[in-house]
Amino acid sequence: MAEFTVRSDSVNVEQIMEQIRARIREKRGVDYTEAQIRELAAARLEQFIDPDKLHSNLLREFHRIRAEGDAPAALDVTIDESVLFETHRPWLRSLRKLLRPILKLFLNTKALAALSARSKAELVRKSHDQLTFELIHNLVVEMTRLGIEVRNLAMRVESMQSRLEFNERRARALESAVVYKPSEPQAFAEPPSPPVQEMRPAEEVRPQPSGGPPPSSAPEGAGQRRRRRRRRGRRGGSQPPWQQNPQNQQGQPGQAVPATEPTPPQDLQMDGGPADEPHDSESDTGGAGFDPDPQ
Amino acid sequence: MKLAVVVQRYGLAIHGGTELHARYIAEHLAQHADVEVLTTCASDDRTWANDYKAGVETINGVRVRRFRVSRSRKAAASAQLADIVFHQTHSLGDELNWIEAEGPMSRSLLRHLRKHGNAYDFCLFFDYRYCHSFRGAHAVPSRAILVPRAERDEAIGAQVFRGLFRGARAILYNSPEERSLIQAVTANTQVPGVVVGAGADVPQNPQPGRFRQKHNIRGGFAIYIGRIDERHGCADLFDLFQQYCGQPSSKLSLVLVGDGPLAVPTHPRIKHVGVLDEAGKFDALAAAEVLLVPSRYESLSRTALEAWALARPVLANAKSDVLKGQCLRSNGGLCYRNAEEVIAMLQAFEQHRWLSGSLGKSGRQYFRDHYDWRVVERKYHDMLAQLQKAAPRETIEPLPGWSERRRRNVPPAADVVRSVS
Repeated sequence: MAEFTVRSDSVNVEQIMEQIRARIREKRGVDYTEAQIRELAAARLEQFIDPDKLHSNLLREFHRIRAEGDAPAALDVTIDESVLFETHRPWLRSLRKLLRPILKLFLNTKALAALSARSKAELVRKSHDQLTFELIHNLVVEMTRLGIEVRNLAMRVESMQSRLEFNERRARALESAVVYKPSEPQAFAEPPSPPVQEMRPAEEVRPQPSGGPPPSSAPEGAGQRRRRRRRRGRRGGSQPPWQQNPQNQQGQPGQAVPATEPTPPQDLQMDGGPADEPHDSESDTGGAGFDPDPQ
Repeated sequence: MKLAVVVQRYGLAIHGGTELHARYIAEHLAQHADVEVLTTCASDDRTWANDYKAGVETINGVRVRRFRVSRSRKAAASAQLADIVFHQTHSLGDELNWIEAEGPMSRSLLRHLRKHGNAYDFCLFFDYRYCHSFRGAHAVPSRAILVPRAERDEAIGAQVFRGLFRGARAILYNSPEERSLIQAVTANTQVPGVVVGAGADVPQNPQPGRFRQKHNIRGGFAIYIGRIDERHGCADLFDLFQQYCGQPSSKLSLVLVGDGPLAVPTHPRIKHVGVLDEAGKFDALAAAEVLLVPSRYESLSRTALEAWALARPVLANAKSDVLKGQCLRSNGGLCYRNAEEVIAMLQAFEQHRWLSGSLGKSGRQYFRDHYDWRVVERKYHDMLAQLQKAAPRETIEPLPGWSERRRRNVPPAADVVRSVS
């Protein structure tokens, strides 16, 4: 959006509107109205029919046809003077036929007939030219539009390309900034599942700071340990997860328990470790049932 | 001083722009003068049916005298005559027939004006194009003060109005653009006139939260207040707003207040809350980010003034020279010319909060300077005092005679308006 430079109490609406319009023009590339497109098209059409600037057969053909149309035709060959005496009324036709020799004494009927024929041909040619010109004009208008569109698209492609390059550079920079620290190979190994008889509440297993970490917590980082401690603190520390606040499982008002969340089986809950991780992570983030900004 | 306010409809339940304007003016002038409202029994401007009882009543402390309408309005006949007057070479008789078809034609009102017109010092005629104003002003020419409420439409080009505008005692314009238009069309520069407009009774403490709660509206929204029809640009508004909604970053919704013949499109971000009372309207306006005024034909736009009174910005159609002028003079709103500008300007409002604040602040100052009731009352008082001192110079030309009415040499009204644009 346009970044306005006017930041005072007394705003200038005209200036703001001009800035917005300038921004629109900038976004569109070139601000062509329909009239401007037509003007451009007209300019190109003029160029098109200017023989100095264009060497095409089409123009030559155009001139040839025009020249043929302008050339005086041989009167005796092409002109039939009887057309001058044509009429749809039979009685008038016969009267004209009767009087034709007398009429020929007073005027050159051949020349008149030639003029008549030429005017007819001219009419036909003009209508033909009109159509051709219109066709060419429409083509040029469309070409102008397409040209503008192509230019806009090229600009957009260019801008997207520059954005892509920027993103690539950014990605490379981020990749080089990250220090890769490989963990010990056993950290990725799946911990052996403990036998059922050894399953005890978390509190009974975990408080052994001096006795070294339990097998399942061996790969934990400091962050995970901190999170777990926080969770324990919230639960009161001394109670196992299934004993504290059973109403929460049903979903209390204001508490974050998704309505459709399935209750985990009892044996999975007994382990305070990875089995109850999803619950905790949800409650840490506020849960799925609470969205501060529904939009 | 005894004043008559002559208006086509009057009542607390009538919310037309002219009628509200007349009622507010009558109520405020009644504090300084003896005001009587002369109106018809009609409540519906499409039919002018006699819904109220004829006689005298008091509304908000103002005496109102109602007269029966003689002839109901027939929309088809009126439209046909309007087409002849606006678009064809016609006669003065056609224009007079058109004005009578527009109505409201009340013979008893005209009789009252002819008989008792001398009892009033001045008669204020609201809305020049209706029959009550045209014929009423001819009945009491030396006392006729016009509040024309002219818009840049074809009607102002009708030739019969030239005499009316040239012969009135004074003209109280709504905006400088209206004055320029009327002076250009009718060449009435010699007639005393002043740009007054009308104030707005804005509540001190509007409750935007109450409106949001009542209508379950969350998030920012733009508002349109008024009649929902094509003449007021609502069809364009719906189209433009849906284009705006198509933008991925758009956030604002559109709330429509009012009623009308045009169907509101079903869209998740367009909400129509119907007609609201005054308090509800101001609550809605205070809750809105921006007021949209899409109409091309405006002589004042009360809603824009009310928005400015509440320090809300306005986004108006630039094709209306009145709105454009008001926005530029007040620095209280932006004007759009096409869909791209609407989108860009709405985005500007939602992204730059300071813009709404600054425009609203400027608009409020403009309202206080020019449209506060004290300012409006003072302008009326000064004009009436000036007219009382001076004798009338010219009078309204009498209506054309039999043969003159039948001469078909009057150019189309649309051409006349176009020639002065």
